[in-house]
Amino acid sequence: MAHDAHHAEGHAHAHWDTSIYPFIISFGILALAVAFSFKFVYHNGFAAILSLGIGVPLIIAGIAGWTSEAMGKGEGLSYGAMGWFILAEAMIFVSFFVSYWYTKLHVDVWPPAGNIELPRIMPLVMTFILVASSLTIHYAEHLLHLGNKGAFRTWYLLTIVLGACFLGMSVYEWSHLIHEGFTIGTNAFSTVFFSVTGLHGSHVVVGLAIFLAGLPSVLRGDIDEGFMRTAGLYWHFVDIIWFFVVSQVYYW
Amino acid sequence: MNLKEWIFTTDHKRVGVLYLIGSIAAFAVAGIMALLMRAELSTIGPTITANPTQYNVWLYTHGAVMILGFQIPALTGFFANFCIPLMIGAKDVAFPRVNALSVWLFYVGVILALLTFFIPDPPDVMWTGYPPYSTITTGNTAMYSFTVLILGFASIIGGVNFLTTVAYMRAPGLTLNKLNIFVWCTLAAFVLQLIFVPVLGTAVSLISMDKYLGTNFFDPTKGGDVLTYQNLFWFYSHPAVYVIFLPFIGVVYEIIAAHAKNMVFNYKMVVYGGVGGIVLLAGEVWVHHLYVSGMADWLRIGQMVTTLMISIPVGLMMIGLIGTLYKGSIAFTTPMLYALGVVFLFLIGGLTGIPLAVPSLTIGVSDTYYVVGHFHYVMAVAGTFAIFGGVYHWFPKMTGRMYNEFWGKLGFWITFVGVNIVFWIMMDVGVKGMPRRYYDYAHFPQFEGAHQWMTVGAAILAVGFTIAILNWILGAINGKPSGDNPWGSPSLEWSTVSPPPHGNWPSPPSVAEDWHPYGFKKG
Repeated sequence: MAHDAHHAEGHAHAHWDTSIYPFIISFGILALAVAFSFKFVYHNGFAAILSLGIGVPLIIAGIAGWTSEAMGKGEGLSYGAMGWFILAEAMIFVSFFVSYWYTKLHVDVWPPAGNIELPRIMPLVMTFILVASSLTIHYAEHLLHLGNKGAFRTWYLLTIVLGACFLGMSVYEWSHLIHEGFTIGTNAFSTVFFSVTGLHGSHVVVGLAIFLAGLPSVLRGDIDEGFMRTAGLYWHFVDIIWFFVVSQVYYW
Repeated sequence: MNLKEWIFTTDHKRVGVLYLIGSIAAFAVAGIMALLMRAELSTIGPTITANPTQYNVWLYTHGAVMILGFQIPALTGFFANFCIPLMIGAKDVAFPRVNALSVWLFYVGVILALLTFFIPDPPDVMWTGYPPYSTITTGNTAMYSFTVLILGFASIIGGVNFLTTVAYMRAPGLTLNKLNIFVWCTLAAFVLQLIFVPVLGTAVSLISMDKYLGTNFFDPTKGGDVLTYQNLFWFYSHPAVYVIFLPFIGVVYEIIAAHAKNMVFNYKMVVYGGVGGIVLLAGEVWVHHLYVSGMADWLRIGQMVTTLMISIPVGLMMIGLIGTLYKGSIAFTTPMLYALGVVFLFLIGGLTGIPLAVPSLTIGVSDTYYVVGHFHYVMAVAGTFAIFGGVYHWFPKMTGRMYNEFWGKLGFWITFVGVNIVFWIMMDVGVKGMPRRYYDYAHFPQFEGAHQWMTVGAAILAVGFTIAILNWILGAINGKPSGDNPWGSPSLEWSTVSPPPHGNWPSPPSVAEDWHPYGFKKG
């Protein structure tokens, strides 16, 4: 050992790093879980709203505080970490798809009774928009790397707009299908359709939330490149997963 | 002591200690559940409750909290947090705030699990949550789903954090072949967590969606399939055994190497053959939990082969332990006793598992106490002994103080006697036909004597564990100063002061060319 550990004794009373935000977010999540039980198990709407009213502000405040506390202080490790996180995320989709295939190939009659014709054009448009947003964020990253902050900001905002368009079209399509009587409870296929598109949609929401969390720094112009690369990687993942969603639930 | 600096801490050692406190509390609660079940089973007919659902709730809490609230958090939370940055010479983990988030999410998950005692219609779905029961029971299945989801999310972000930490923050000169076995084992466990926890999360979400949101994943009348759940659940829950096994055997490696003052036997074979082999095979054996659920015969044979195959890497790791003892200068300290206890208990658990891998044999004992006895030996008790031994081993590092050696050894021997009474008899009555999960056994009056012995054994082991926990508490308060490196180990965590300050080392350490964590000087 090249060093002498006993030099540390002088530092024994140095301060210990703290952050209040992880604690706040955790208990916000607890309130969400409790809200679900109130609503769906005990059918107490008021208590559910109350828990949501506690949980949601806690989580938003926690994320906002965390972002402002940590922005710019990263050590450039988040890109590699996001790769591992995406592995875990991908496994959620894998389990949905595999249980879908298992059910589909296992049962005697497929599709089950009550199916309707799904739209053919809308998903293509949505695919086009999502792919476009993947390209715009990639270009935005490139501009940031070159130091062109004005153009970067434009392409960053464009990505957010495209993501929001995608979400809006999903909502439109869902409401259209539900209006026609095709709901999540209709049969096993509708269950898969709504849960897989909903799961993907929730990832779009998370991706947009990451972009929005970075927005104040983008507007101030002190966004760090590591954050951009990591957020971009997550967005590309959301884009790639969409190809699986669209090919499996719409066209197969 | 500044309480705020503990609750809001982002330091890996303090986060680790928070994990330890939470998981030991969970262990105590889940242990009391086991004692209640043993008390109920001590006579035929109602003993302490006349309500079978109450028994189901105890069983649910015991299983879910022991696995998700005690073993996994103690191993991948406490030991990983406390030891890994110190073992690789890092000042902290890669994302200290994420680390704090994961420990508080763990507490939130445990709080949700413990709300079971205070809410109407508590969950009664055991730790498995099989549909269709879980989707039609009046119990609160949502609570079960959210407990699993939150604890699962905590372990995923923990895994991301540690994989990044070890990849990028090792001390200069600390190459992969100089990592402690514990670090290798825990990294492998985290990789398994990242791959398999999301599948469990999906499975438990689907039962709550079926029950509360009206979906049809497991409803055959609408085209769903119940067996999907069992496949998803065991696709995680069998690898979960390795998520527990790998870190605990890593802890045992650290203890045996340090207290036998010996180089780990066959280091590369243990790491690449043992740890690597388990990671490769972990995801291909889950179907052996479904042998009696109905499946194609060819699938049974294939899964029998993979299940038997995974005993090869596990065997390599056992050989490594025995080989490390060989020609070592063994000190029979308390941690060493626990480590040797693990070797013994794991051997019994491992050998009794082989018949369960073979479909023709397993059908006879499926859903009997034999299975319960087997998995308690191989995972529950062996894992818990490793955790207790590990806490004793790193106790001086955590507190700078020494535990009481006499009470430590006494606690070990009492527990050791207790577990062998309970779980040996359990396997015996299982082979003779005692079915598991029963609230009452009026149809099997011949087992009443055995059940009473098991209840006595459970009480004995509870005394042993209590002695150990009291020993830690008293040792932390007024134990004798231990010095920085009481075991004389060259492993990197012992090179700083005990307890280590924030930042661990005054200046980042680096390791010499000829240094190795197990390079003990031969005296």
